[in-house]
Amino acid sequence: MNAPIHTPRETPPTSQVPDPQRLTRGYWYWRAKRQRWSLLIEKRALVVNTVLLMVLVLCSLASLAFGTLSIPMPDVLLTLQGEGTSMHTFVIEELRWPRLLAGGLAGAAFALAGCLMQTLARNRLATPGIIGIDNAATAFAVASVVGTGISLAPPAMALTGAAVATALAFGLAGATGTRGYRFIIAGLAIGAISGALTQVMLSSVALDDANAAYPWTVGSLNARAPNSVHALTIGLAVSYVLSLFLNRALATLQLPEAVTTSLGTHPGRVRLMGLILSVLLTGLAVSVAGPVGLIALLAPELARTVSRPGSIPLTASFLAGAILMVVSDLAGRLVLAPLEIPVGIVTALAGSPYLLWILLRKSPDINR
Amino acid sequence: MPNPLTTFLLKQTLGSLVLMAAITGVAHADTREVETAYGSVSIDGTPERVVTLYEGALDAAIATGIDPVGAVITRGGNDVAEYIQPKAKGIGIVGAPGETNIESVIALNPDLILASAQLSKEQYNLLSKIAPTIVPDFTAFTPRTWKQETRLFAQALGRADAGEEAVTRVEDKAAEVAKLVESTLDADQRETGLIRWMPQGPLVMSEGLFSASLLQAAGFNVNSANIVKDGRPHSHPLSQENLGLIDHPWIFLATLNEDGDEALKAARKSPAFQRLKANKEGQIIIVNGQLWTSASGPLAALKILDDIANAVNNFATTH
Amino acid sequence: MKAKRHYIITWSLLLLVCLTSLLFGAGTLEIKQAFAVLTGQGSAEARFVVMELRLPRLAIGTITGLALGVAGALLQTLTRNPLAEPGLLGVSAGSAFAVSLAILFGASTATLTTLVSQAGALAGCALVIAATRIQGVGQDPVRLVLAGATLTALLLSLTSLLMLIDQRAADEIRFWITGSIAGKSWDQLTATLPTMLLAGAIVIGAVKPLASLALGERVAIGLGHRPGLIRLMVIIAVALLVGGATALAGPLVFVGLVVPFVARALGGADIRKTLWLCLPIGPAIIIAADTLSRLLVVPSEMPLGVITALIGAPVLMLIIRARRIPTL
Repeated sequence: MNAPIHTPRETPPTSQVPDPQRLTRGYWYWRAKRQRWSLLIEKRALVVNTVLLMVLVLCSLASLAFGTLSIPMPDVLLTLQGEGTSMHTFVIEELRWPRLLAGGLAGAAFALAGCLMQTLARNRLATPGIIGIDNAATAFAVASVVGTGISLAPPAMALTGAAVATALAFGLAGATGTRGYRFIIAGLAIGAISGALTQVMLSSVALDDANAAYPWTVGSLNARAPNSVHALTIGLAVSYVLSLFLNRALATLQLPEAVTTSLGTHPGRVRLMGLILSVLLTGLAVSVAGPVGLIALLAPELARTVSRPGSIPLTASFLAGAILMVVSDLAGRLVLAPLEIPVGIVTALAGSPYLLWILLRKSPDINR
Repeated sequence: MPNPLTTFLLKQTLGSLVLMAAITGVAHADTREVETAYGSVSIDGTPERVVTLYEGALDAAIATGIDPVGAVITRGGNDVAEYIQPKAKGIGIVGAPGETNIESVIALNPDLILASAQLSKEQYNLLSKIAPTIVPDFTAFTPRTWKQETRLFAQALGRADAGEEAVTRVEDKAAEVAKLVESTLDADQRETGLIRWMPQGPLVMSEGLFSASLLQAAGFNVNSANIVKDGRPHSHPLSQENLGLIDHPWIFLATLNEDGDEALKAARKSPAFQRLKANKEGQIIIVNGQLWTSASGPLAALKILDDIANAVNNFATTH
Repeated sequence: MKAKRHYIITWSLLLLVCLTSLLFGAGTLEIKQAFAVLTGQGSAEARFVVMELRLPRLAIGTITGLALGVAGALLQTLTRNPLAEPGLLGVSAGSAFAVSLAILFGASTATLTTLVSQAGALAGCALVIAATRIQGVGQDPVRLVLAGATLTALLLSLTSLLMLIDQRAADEIRFWITGSIAGKSWDQLTATLPTMLLAGAIVIGAVKPLASLALGERVAIGLGHRPGLIRLMVIIAVALLVGGATALAGPLVFVGLVVPFVARALGGADIRKTLWLCLPIGPAIIIAADTLSRLLVVPSEMPLGVITALIGAPVLMLIIRARRIPTL
């Protein structure tokens, strides 16, 4: 939930306290007895997130039920309660659940990373995928898969790649700048270089190995490694909590720089924190699912349309990312069965027309 | 004086026969213990619903008289390999090589799964819960590999004798073709290479490839000039400028297209290809890539030996 | 005087690059032997390698470089956007997708027709121009590039889907899509030549009106030109050039960005001067990249597209390192 927790420095004199009823309209408001801290819950966010959560649950159930083998919904529910047939239990527990988990977590991580980066760069297009972090992480991970003598595990390599790409993009662009455009173009170039390097590595291995690595380079949930999923789970949990703490400070970034500073927020520090979280999330998600970068753009977009204008819908993006990934993966499994369409191709096919529409419509509001 | 290679193969076969007898002797008539890459697997009775996740396994199963219910597509195709299609009518497709759709395996309700040596531990853990899963554990890319695999699969299928018979049939045929080669070609005319022609240039196939080992067994001397490096067992591209490295009297040209002549025509457009000795002398042998670069097993071996014998017979009639 | 010096430098650079490309390769042929061929001697083997393998590559590299460089310069002037590059904007991807479709329907890479590729490029071009006509996008260099990158991603995903559907086509498409001019024959060059010459004629005819169009639509009309017609002609020329180059070498990104960038850095923003300078620079860059591709992983070769990306991406960064993105 969007729950910015703030600590008032001192209790102001009673006469100056504005009417809490008026100020907290649209919120559920709760304050501890001694007024050391308080909790604000935005009603709309609560409703939106509950609905999204329900949609996610439904999509997950669908993902557990459908596949080459269809399992009727009552049987899915029975199996989840531990009373299914052994065949159903096997299909759901051993095949579909781990994949669902990996997909949901990776989607949520991509989306959260996207939402954070969009906010701190003040540009809707500044998502990890577009600025080349995905490609760089993939290049590094492929290096460890192909076996270039580097013995780091893929998650660690993907993280390194993500960090290197971001550092490069920032170094080259000076800073995110007010519009973040230079940053984006620098990222585009980094993405192109990383893509080329991945190609070099794949072309230097045997054709069959390259074929095997191919679905992975376009983004697929078929090749996930269990330890990558564990790393992602921990990383996502930590980043999510931290990003909630960061939420209020991030919100002030949308104001002019001078106002931000006068509100007691250190803009540079907040940006750095957000950036680190974003890189961490992207690197971990890539090591599980490969470069499915469009999720980072689509999910926050979706979340923003249903959330209160001006808010930073971290939780809603998180949920929307998970939903999009789960649905895309399900579609990819069903359309050409028994062959699989990698989830990265599904999201690219569904997502790029939408991205084009954002870019090309007449009254653009790319810079929020 | 017998060919040293044949003698070697014969010894190998005898040795394996003894070993085989020992294994089958120990096991109970109905229950077999099969040694696989992931430990010993015990199988009861005669499996009836067999799923093969590897072309060599499909071939071996059919060669021993079993009709598998499921298989993976061949590389470069949308079905099982052409050479085996007539014998595998109506077989269920359960994915591509290395990309098994486990759900469709379950749908076929198998009682035995035959996989390739490359099956990962994770995949094995899942598949072995569906049915006993046989993963061969032999050194890859040796001339012996397919024989060992065929015997292993046959044993798992409860048809060790049929498997042995299939291997022997291939060995006999290889010896027969080797005789033909020796009587037709001079010793210095037996050097050959196996390539695929891409628009950028040749893709040189490893000497350890299944079909290359059969060429060896049939008396040819396969020389890929060490282009395919260690640990990269299948194939490697070569610059056209270095075509001299594989300029052998015979070249077997594998295609992925059904239309081999088209592929030859395309290759002949390249001036570098035109300069190859084998091209000038008409010793470019077009072979089906599905069979030659991706298949494995006794039936494939017989077909490949047929191709070799035909090529040599053609040579004999034209020269 | 200064302009003359630029021409001398660039043309001699091109000569040097060409010479290097004939002398060095992935083969075992010694430089001395290759040199002997150039002086009219040398063994048959050496003659073959130099005259039959390296020379066609040189010729194809020249044509590809010319086409992509000129197409880039034209597109940039037309869209008034220094980042407008056929590869980045999705024109090459359109062409690549059309070719992949053709391969899927049974054409083999060796028998490909140039026309398929050019039709795809034309569709890509039309999309780009349609996008620039949308208010706001035309004035915003970055948005156009991003839209192009998105279009490229979309078309590449569609291509990937084709590869999944037909495994046989996959191998051929994969080899072609990385970009390479290895193993191309004179036939393929002559097949693209008529359309390339047509494009050249159009460029010669359209360059003067285009230069006036660059000064503004009103100026062009005042000088008696028809802006709509000029645009149409230029778009057709770009499509023919990019489609032809893609049919020859596969989709190569960044070449159309780097070549005009260097040309403008040397000769200023005048389109006529830029085009003249593109003539030596385009081929020089492609041929240099191709020579590198032969030398890096002997005895194999590296895809040319990888090298051009590695050269081109830093130039893209260089452009944006400038204080602000210049408009044309």
